[in-house]
Amino acid sequence: MLIRAFTLLLLTLLAVSANAEKVSTLTIYTHPSFAAEWGPGPAVKDAFEQTCNCQINYVVLDSGGDILQRLRLEGKSSEADLVLGLDTGTMETTRQTGLLASHKTDLSALNLPVDWQDPVFVPYDWGYFAFVYDTEQLPEPPKSLEALIAAPDSLKIIIQDPRTSTPGLGLLLWMRQVYGDQAPEKWQQLKGKILTTTKSWSDGYFSLFMNGEAPMILSYSTSPAYHMAVDKTDRYQAAEFEEGHYLQVEVAARVKSSDQKELGQAFLDFMLSADFQRHIPLKNVMYPATDLGDELPAVFDKLIQPAEALYFDPKMVTDNRRQWLNEWLDAMTR
Amino acid sequence: MNLRPSAPFSRPGWRLWPGLAIAGALVVLAMAGLGALVWEASLPDMNELWRSRYLRTVVAFTVWQAFLSVVLSLLVAIPVARILARQSGFPGRVVLLRLMELSLVLPSIVAVSGLVSVYGRQGWLTGFANDWLGASWNLYGINGIVLAHVFFNAPLAARILLQAIESAPTSQLRVAAQLGLGRWWYWRAVEWPAVKPIMPGLAALVFTLCFTSFAIVMTLGGGPAATTIEVAIYQSLRFEFDAGQAALLAMVQLAICGFLWWLAARDGLTASLLPDRQVASHRSKAGSSFWARSGDAAALGLFVLFLVTPLIAILLRGLPGIGSAFFPEGSFSVNPALLDATLRSLAIALPAGLMSVSASLLILACGTAAFQPAITRLTNVAAYLPLMVPPLVLGTGLFLLFRPNLGSSSEGLILVTLINAMMALPFVLQMLRGPMGNLDSASRQQADQLGVLGWYRWRWLHWPRMRRPLALAMAYGTGLSLGDFGVIALFGSPGQPTLPVLLYQQLGSYRIDAAAATGLWLVLLLLMLFSLFNWLGSPLFNAGLASKSSRTVPEPEHA
Repeated sequence: MLIRAFTLLLLTLLAVSANAEKVSTLTIYTHPSFAAEWGPGPAVKDAFEQTCNCQINYVVLDSGGDILQRLRLEGKSSEADLVLGLDTGTMETTRQTGLLASHKTDLSALNLPVDWQDPVFVPYDWGYFAFVYDTEQLPEPPKSLEALIAAPDSLKIIIQDPRTSTPGLGLLLWMRQVYGDQAPEKWQQLKGKILTTTKSWSDGYFSLFMNGEAPMILSYSTSPAYHMAVDKTDRYQAAEFEEGHYLQVEVAARVKSSDQKELGQAFLDFMLSADFQRHIPLKNVMYPATDLGDELPAVFDKLIQPAEALYFDPKMVTDNRRQWLNEWLDAMTR
Repeated sequence: MNLRPSAPFSRPGWRLWPGLAIAGALVVLAMAGLGALVWEASLPDMNELWRSRYLRTVVAFTVWQAFLSVVLSLLVAIPVARILARQSGFPGRVVLLRLMELSLVLPSIVAVSGLVSVYGRQGWLTGFANDWLGASWNLYGINGIVLAHVFFNAPLAARILLQAIESAPTSQLRVAAQLGLGRWWYWRAVEWPAVKPIMPGLAALVFTLCFTSFAIVMTLGGGPAATTIEVAIYQSLRFEFDAGQAALLAMVQLAICGFLWWLAARDGLTASLLPDRQVASHRSKAGSSFWARSGDAAALGLFVLFLVTPLIAILLRGLPGIGSAFFPEGSFSVNPALLDATLRSLAIALPAGLMSVSASLLILACGTAAFQPAITRLTNVAAYLPLMVPPLVLGTGLFLLFRPNLGSSSEGLILVTLINAMMALPFVLQMLRGPMGNLDSASRQQADQLGVLGWYRWRWLHWPRMRRPLALAMAYGTGLSLGDFGVIALFGSPGQPTLPVLLYQQLGSYRIDAAAATGLWLVLLLLMLFSLFNWLGSPLFNAGLASKSSRTVPEPEHA
């Protein structure tokens, strides 16, 4: 019995490895929320593998920053054919490594709040940073960033640290975009309302916000879509701010040293097709990069529509990030 | 002419070289990580560190919060261990011990969620204190950090101290019992000598754990004023891409923690020289009067409240989702994702536990075999390197040495197992150091004269005494790997999640209830694991194996 089971296992393994040799493999470095069972990763993998005689292999790294660091360590011998999951905060530094190749994808189908003409990075989704609030604890949220800053210190908010978290950096840039050089002073006025600054979005959302510790948390304007569509509750909503909301764009790019150049390019093209994009709204809980028409879930119509998309050129962010961060640290620890 | 057939592994080299090799590998690993960073960008001037107000504050804060956490953890742990040693028969003691073992291995995000439910702004205790006592506090800040660190470490410390007190030489216990010593004298004469040898190592262990704390410090710290060196290293590497500054900070961390371990190794890691012949046990009478028992019960009750309320919060939060976590959408087959993740976690954690226990024994053997005290100290300190070197630096070193093929899942899992074993090593070593060192010199000499060496020495001299500590060490080694998220995140995983990774994936996809249920399942699994190993190490289990007639000597009543 045991021997039979073992032989069967061995045969299966052999069959799998023999099969793996025939088709080409596309290795994609990505982050957990994309590759998770409920993320868009598995569905996208299935859909793409049907169009090609190939296999997608996700390598899941902790965050966009880790994808960049891994790429730097591996240099020209990297196994990655594609990186997916960098964003406007990390893409410029990744570009400067010189390890990425330019794409040939037609970007005319893009439906972003900003004009996008990047030779290396192809966007696959986008979203606005926003404060999500608990309507049961806070029926009347502030209507602007200015109103939030001027609110009494009894209103508590949870934010993420710009040093370790993407939304955290988003808020730093948001404040900078709205207030310019006045940003540090405004941070000092905001300080009394900040309950705590968590390492990651998950820490704050799970341990604190969903435990009712504070009525507001820095998140995405699309977060309520998930609560409305899947949890079937309108309790958590995003507060619309008059000054506009800061934009995040998530991107993918080909790796120069890849030996699957055509396959990589085919994937980037596929990324902007409906077969990829339809998984974005509820599985990544972000806006799709192209117009999905009727396929966009109805709850997305109920989300806030910011009057203005605030956005720094990625190069500007890379050049100033360190100084802006130091000013923030100074304001917050004084 | 030697007529005796020699035992397997009886050459002195077998006691020395394997342990030395393991210690050497750890040193190489740490150096590779640091070296890679320095190579990527040259090391900045040391003065840079003292010129930057921010970095100075970071170093000072890190030391301060770790110091406070150690002092408070030990202040809680010592009385708890003493009471538990005195009161060895109350109902629920076994359950309490299992829960104490649990706190350290909980994934921090789960534990923090539990702590916040009790002590947070909307917490149970905060509400109670406001309504009934008129008192109020703010969890977020240094108090929150220290509270969480005490929650994680005091039970661990108490558990290790209890083990030390329980293994106090029985001859002393007998004399103390005959003299009817009061509590203070009992502490002076019996308990303190038993815990003294492990105190420096224990303090250093807790200090290092708190020193390198990361997510807890940020979540409960209230803001960037609460920044540890570990956070600053992350910032340098992941945010500013300043490898030089990261290397410098890592060296500062290594220097501070390494110095402490060096001190601990000098003073405290020597083996106890007192005879440890197992004779019938005589418990102290100090804990038997009514008032003494009531006092003990009250103090222990407070500790139980402190330990158990966050766990109850985790239970309550996870319960609503646990049904659908196992049987999604009313189906009657068990959720394959959860089952797979559980099996995958166990497949990593059990071998990792076994490896860390074996490695610890080899290192300890090397400690007793080495001729040079310096070598003993070096191997001892090297074993704690995985705690002192920041994970990101360690990850870089590992990556450069092994260049793992991330695509192949089997290779990835083997590597993850190895690293989990390495990360558990400091804890497991701490569990085994006391019991291994407690073998008295008379027995040792006798064994030497009789030529009981190598495998036989281990089988007949050490094994019977070390069954229980080994089971506990195995439980910690396995539990730490089971609850671990960091190691997998360091390398990148090939899609299929372990339980903690599943939890984070669920969080990342807004599946809050499912994540709470996964957290609860992980806690229950850890509890079962600790119970199983404790049962395997208990006299009850072993009595079933050995013939009863050979057991002339009753063992003291442990957990």
